[in-house]
Amino acid sequence: MSYLGYVVAAYGVFFVVLLWDFVAPRIDIARQLRAAKLRAARTTAARPAPDATLSRTESE
Amino acid sequence: MMLQAARALLARDARLLWRRRGDALQPALFALLVVVLFALALGGEARALERVAAPVLWLAVLLAGLLALDTLFRGDAEDGSLEQWMLAPVPLSWLVLVRTFMHWASTALPLLIATPVLGELLHLPRGQLPVLMASLALGTPLLSLLGAVVAALTVGMRRSGILVALLALPLYVPVLVFGAGAVAVAAQGLDATAPLLLLGAGLILALVLAPLAAAAAIRIALS
Amino acid sequence: MHPLVRWFHQLGSPPYFDRFAARWAPWAYVLGLLVMAYGLWAALFQVPADYQQGDSFRILYIHVPSAWMSMFIFGLMAFYSAIALVWRIKLCEILAMACAPIGAAFTVITLATGSIWGKPMWGTWWDWDPRLTTELILLFLYLGIIGLYHAIDDRRQGARAAGLLAIVGVALLPVIRYSVVWWNSLHQGQTISVFGQSQMDASMLPPLFAMIVATKLWFVGSLLARARADNLRREAGKDWVVRMAQERAR
Repeated sequence: MSYLGYVVAAYGVFFVVLLWDFVAPRIDIARQLRAAKLRAARTTAARPAPDATLSRTESE
Repeated sequence: MMLQAARALLARDARLLWRRRGDALQPALFALLVVVLFALALGGEARALERVAAPVLWLAVLLAGLLALDTLFRGDAEDGSLEQWMLAPVPLSWLVLVRTFMHWASTALPLLIATPVLGELLHLPRGQLPVLMASLALGTPLLSLLGAVVAALTVGMRRSGILVALLALPLYVPVLVFGAGAVAVAAQGLDATAPLLLLGAGLILALVLAPLAAAAAIRIALS
Repeated sequence: MHPLVRWFHQLGSPPYFDRFAARWAPWAYVLGLLVMAYGLWAALFQVPADYQQGDSFRILYIHVPSAWMSMFIFGLMAFYSAIALVWRIKLCEILAMACAPIGAAFTVITLATGSIWGKPMWGTWWDWDPRLTTELILLFLYLGIIGLYHAIDDRRQGARAAGLLAIVGVALLPVIRYSVVWWNSLHQGQTISVFGQSQMDASMLPPLFAMIVATKLWFVGSLLARARADNLRREAGKDWVVRMAQERAR
């Protein structure tokens, strides 16, 4: 009886699952860092330069 | 102090239960549904049914209990009584134990009473009935106690249905194995004392440990 | 303060842990892969085929280390959870929850390889053998812990609830195992356990040891990576995360 298919299948499962185990946290970390960058960009864009709004002497 | 609290809680739960006494029959009704569906699916022939009657009954009781688990802490979690429990001068685990007892009495006892009738529907061999009743009498409180831990872990969650079943399954397996196994042993004509004793031992351990675990879970959930 | 104690305290600081995990995870992975390379090569090409089972027995070199890892990780997860519950150490919460998916992965490998190995041996893809049945229940425990952790919005509360479940699980696991073994003897008679041969010839052992070491190293790498990810998620919005995100290219 040829066991080749079974051995290949078993080792294949091993590789695939470990590959997932390797990739999943990397994707997660990348997503977290990207979200942090975007959040930072949003807050600096939303926060206007201090002199533009707070000073009333110029426009008055 | 502890007996006073227990009496008060039992009285309150009994009163609440009486106001909605129809609800107490729901687990029994569900078990009946399961039995009917099994009988229909298996073809209704007596010889086929009597071989699986005891395990099916065990499953019906177990699943009905699982469904009823939702009501264990739900009402008190929603109206804030659970937080009052945490502040009470009696141990939280004691209150959990009393509540679980009441829950078992209101959901599992009707099931136990209904079991002989359901057994007839499945052509359960008469000789198996005593062992079946004994295994259920020991097993259902055990399931209630283990279920209380699961219910405490998921208290306050809105859509916890499948999660409760997933969490309960591993905990229920030994009870189901020894409970249904006891009847299987009896059906083979052997002495079923061993698995029944194991169920009893498990029950005693659970009486002490399960309320503690459930209390810890409630504290975590309401922290 | 003793340097080791100080190092423990430093690890509790999220930015420090992030740097530590980012630095050491790759080493654990690489080392694990190297040992695994030897182990797999020896398992496939060096060890002679089994007298009874032929080449299919080579699956043992994947199946057994994975099975042991699935148990070991569960115990470790319960250990971290116990520390997290008693001393409320945030890092232990993170480590405990990071263990769960890795343990589940090894359990899946164990079940799949067990099933694949069983087909030529028993002629069926599944058998309610006590070990496979217990492994299946273990998978449900893992999934339950992961599900519970993600079902609760507050990460700290979720980790503590799931941690409590892990502790309950580890206490009940021997009971579950015993009950399944009893059940199996009751209903299936004496199953000839294919995986039971503990008398392995000495020439067949080195790849097994290598795979055991390799999977442990891999676990360390994966644990650090996943803990780092969870750490970042919990600390999202803090300045150090933003700064680090902007500094790094990725």
